[in-house]
Amino acid sequence: MIQNLLDGVLTGAIVSLGAIGLTMAMHMLRFANFSYAELMAIGAYVALVFDRLFEALIPAARAAIGPLSLNWALAAALVVAMAATGLSAVAIDRLVFRRIRQRAGPLSMVFASFGVALILRNLITLIFGLKAQLYSQEIAFAVILSRDPLILIKPDQVFVLAAALALMLIFHLVLTRTTFGFALRAVAENPALAQVAGVRLSAMVAAVWMIGGALSAAAGVFYALTNHLAPTMGHNFLLPVFAATIVGGIGSVHGAVLGGFIVGIASGLALQIMPSGYVPAMPFLIILAVLLLRPHGLFGEEQA
Amino acid sequence: MRPKALMLAAAALAALAGAARAQECTVKVGVVMPTSVDWGKPLAATTQWVAELINEAGGVDGCRVETILRDTQVDPKVGVDAARALVDLDKVQLLLGAVSSGVSMPILTSVAVPAGVMQMSCCSSSTRFTDLAREGGTRGLWFRTFATSNVQAALAAMAARDRGIGTVTILYKNDDWGQDIAKLVERAMAGAGVEVLGSIAITDGQPSYRAEVAEALGKGADALYLALYPKEGISVVREWISLGGTTRFIGTNSLKSDEFREAVGLKHLSEFVGTDTASPRVPSAANFVEAYKARFGTPPNGPGLANAFDAAAIALLAYHAAGRDAKGADIAAKVAMVTDPQGEKVEGTPEGLRRAIELLSQGKSVSFQGATGAVVFDRWGDVSAPGVYWTFAEDGIRELGYVPLEEVDAFVASLN
Amino acid sequence: MIGVVSYLAFFLTMAGILAIAVLGLNLQWGNTGLFNGGVVAFFGAGAYGLMILGGRPEAGQFGGFQLPFPVALAGGVLLAALIAWAVGILTLRLRHDYLAIATFGVAVAFESVTRNAEWLTGGAKGLRGFHRPLEAAIGDPFLFSLAFLAMVLAFLAAVYLGLERLVRSPYGRLLRAIREDETAARSLGKNPARLRLAAFVLGSAVMGLAGGLYASFYAFISPQDMAPILTFQIWAMLIVGGAGNNRGAILGAVLIWAAWTGSGFLLARHAPAEFQLYTGTIQYIMIGLVIVGMLMWRPQGLLPERLAISQTGGEAARRSASRDLTGRETE
Repeated sequence: MIQNLLDGVLTGAIVSLGAIGLTMAMHMLRFANFSYAELMAIGAYVALVFDRLFEALIPAARAAIGPLSLNWALAAALVVAMAATGLSAVAIDRLVFRRIRQRAGPLSMVFASFGVALILRNLITLIFGLKAQLYSQEIAFAVILSRDPLILIKPDQVFVLAAALALMLIFHLVLTRTTFGFALRAVAENPALAQVAGVRLSAMVAAVWMIGGALSAAAGVFYALTNHLAPTMGHNFLLPVFAATIVGGIGSVHGAVLGGFIVGIASGLALQIMPSGYVPAMPFLIILAVLLLRPHGLFGEEQA
Repeated sequence: MRPKALMLAAAALAALAGAARAQECTVKVGVVMPTSVDWGKPLAATTQWVAELINEAGGVDGCRVETILRDTQVDPKVGVDAARALVDLDKVQLLLGAVSSGVSMPILTSVAVPAGVMQMSCCSSSTRFTDLAREGGTRGLWFRTFATSNVQAALAAMAARDRGIGTVTILYKNDDWGQDIAKLVERAMAGAGVEVLGSIAITDGQPSYRAEVAEALGKGADALYLALYPKEGISVVREWISLGGTTRFIGTNSLKSDEFREAVGLKHLSEFVGTDTASPRVPSAANFVEAYKARFGTPPNGPGLANAFDAAAIALLAYHAAGRDAKGADIAAKVAMVTDPQGEKVEGTPEGLRRAIELLSQGKSVSFQGATGAVVFDRWGDVSAPGVYWTFAEDGIRELGYVPLEEVDAFVASLN
Repeated sequence: MIGVVSYLAFFLTMAGILAIAVLGLNLQWGNTGLFNGGVVAFFGAGAYGLMILGGRPEAGQFGGFQLPFPVALAGGVLLAALIAWAVGILTLRLRHDYLAIATFGVAVAFESVTRNAEWLTGGAKGLRGFHRPLEAAIGDPFLFSLAFLAMVLAFLAAVYLGLERLVRSPYGRLLRAIREDETAARSLGKNPARLRLAAFVLGSAVMGLAGGLYASFYAFISPQDMAPILTFQIWAMLIVGGAGNNRGAILGAVLIWAAWTGSGFLLARHAPAEFQLYTGTIQYIMIGLVIVGMLMWRPQGLLPERLAISQTGGEAARRSASRDLTGRETE
């Protein structure tokens, strides 16, 4: 029980990271982006490439950091992956979504995002193959915190949770303490008014994609670090990430963070109340519950 | 544009050259397999290899076998369409495939049976086929070389009993095969006096299996039974080991892959016991492994490869016995002649196939000794098979022990 | 020759079944502007409903009532409509993202139920044993396949004519009015939420009909038929054919299904051996490119929506025709 709670928090941290950018993009551009979760896979695979590259170039970087299975090469690759994924997200927007935005409405974009997701996922398959891949062959062992009840935790889990929370904190500070953050929030709340006030909308859109892409890449790498890489990994997170945004209320960054943890913990605890086969439907049940009880989410504002 | 054109031209030339060398007539055989997924491709390649071997051995009734390979994408709609095109447009009388039961079944009910075409699958495991056959719904046109999961379940239970394992927890892939085998294992374990503490489904495409693994860990069983494919298997087993779970594993033949061995790491798999219905202690099985290595450069370490070999070989030999103009039902009727225990033993080697073709031409029956041993189908098109225990080794798979068919059957009978 | 006819009949049967589903989606999206991200759930509800009501009884399993084909088919349609109604009630009051996400979730949950609820759906091994209507009476498989095609085409024609009438009726005009400008429609005293719900339920029922026909065609259904790719295929058909245009929807269904099966046929024969493993992947990329390209350069589809409303001002008409739906412009 406590173990499940703990594990749920970790999955939740990854879902939260993925949901932050999605909720902003969905709010600002007003469409449900089905390709968004693929950014996690892009990030994880970019990190894989650079991890291998750095390891080959600088053998010293192969040393693991403390008790983690993360080594210096992967830590550096994570930074590269965040930047690269952010840039890809901007590029995808420029290439596809912006054009469709200009010609058609948001619902066309929803479907376009279906198509983009399919293309991205299969491009990754084409390049990296269907095989599951790993950053490190070594299995990192868990530390026993308590024997009765049995509670186990892996150093990697602690690191991932800490790193995810740190990233969220940084983003929170940017959002609440900087001019850029104010501009971002202004645009999200009222694009037209913000433009009148002199905020460049297109720059803000790019910024949202950049931030969302970077956070998703981190989520992807963290996931792959504690599990493995597969071309479908992003797709597998799609429903949990959507559920997190709905729980938090579309547009609310803090709501997305909280929603991510709620979805993660609920999925972790799901096994206590339902047979394991039904667990994939858990995020959907959460969505249903929110729609029944509080349709606009925990932090969402009323809008039709 | 130009390289593509050149390539096409080259391919056309090669095809012409090939045709000129081969027999004058051709017999078309449809192959419907999921070539677009990682585990489907080698199955298709094995099937095509068998067709080449048959051609070198003289072909089907003197005609060259032409396999037409279609991808099912593991999508029933796509698979049925492919089968339909093969039957209607290419006029095949024999379909080899599909792999997943969810694709094989609609092909059987809506293409093969209505058109009177014989269908032989290497790998479909659903008990639905036996039900359908019992009701007469397959009209005797359906065969599969994949032994029902009963054999593997019995082996697993015997392994647990013999190793003094008192309790197990089952982790199974949440598909038709996994759901089926999990139930059978539960029954067999109980029959062998091994207590099953829990049976947990592992569903494809989930972000994390941590909850399932933690749940299994909480049961505290002596050993873990794994009915998984390599992809989820890697995730689940790595998680399990990292949480300090026991490394006493019993696993199905689906985990027999290099991918699984490498990703989990050999050092964690020293106590792994695998079960398999294939590769009995007969020279024909060893010969298959050697021949496969010679042909593809790797040992046949994927699920179902031996079954795919036998499915294709038996079906094509039966086709030969039935003659080049045979209809599906005629071919199906000759399968018994190829797998006749009283017949002369022939192997799946070039010489063996040549001998088989010669004997069948004379109207004599043969006992085909394939990659999975002497296959015999029952009335419903199902096979039973002896069992083998295996484990992972430095260079792939190592055999641990052989359980003859009689022993498996006796154990299964003791459960009822 | 008879082989070609037989295959063609088969191909058209499948294309016809898919076209019915596309028509259902067209009512939701093309005419009402509702995004259904879980087409496969409603399609599946029709299929499973039919199999449970019309199938043969089996040990340890609910269902198998052996009801006559029309009753079982209607039951499947009703099940699809019920699910749509429940989802619609919850989401249609909210902004459109909620419907898209909730329907996507319904599809995941539905697949989960079909895979796990063995007592009801047979679990992963699926449901089988449905006697196809008139199969025994007709006897000859070839004649039966032609008869089945005729039945599917009759259903397709009925759905097409029904929807055409509906779209041209005052009700259809209302739907488009809501799609184009909800506030204006509301100001005229109309209740957009109720109208949208009705359109959503009706469209989903039509998808359920397609699912029922699909299951009776194969006499088998399993969770493998419930993969999300079906939703994508149905959408691709509508987008390519032309959202808002029922003839476009049918054209799209035939074209995309032909491309999907045809490209498999060609790739299997002509792609170099080392690419064979990736033919499915390449196919997905190609179809993804077609969709995205279509939305970027010809969002109205091959057959654009024919405007039934007379409009003064050429500019407004052109603008409206080049947009396949409405919504707030953001940039």
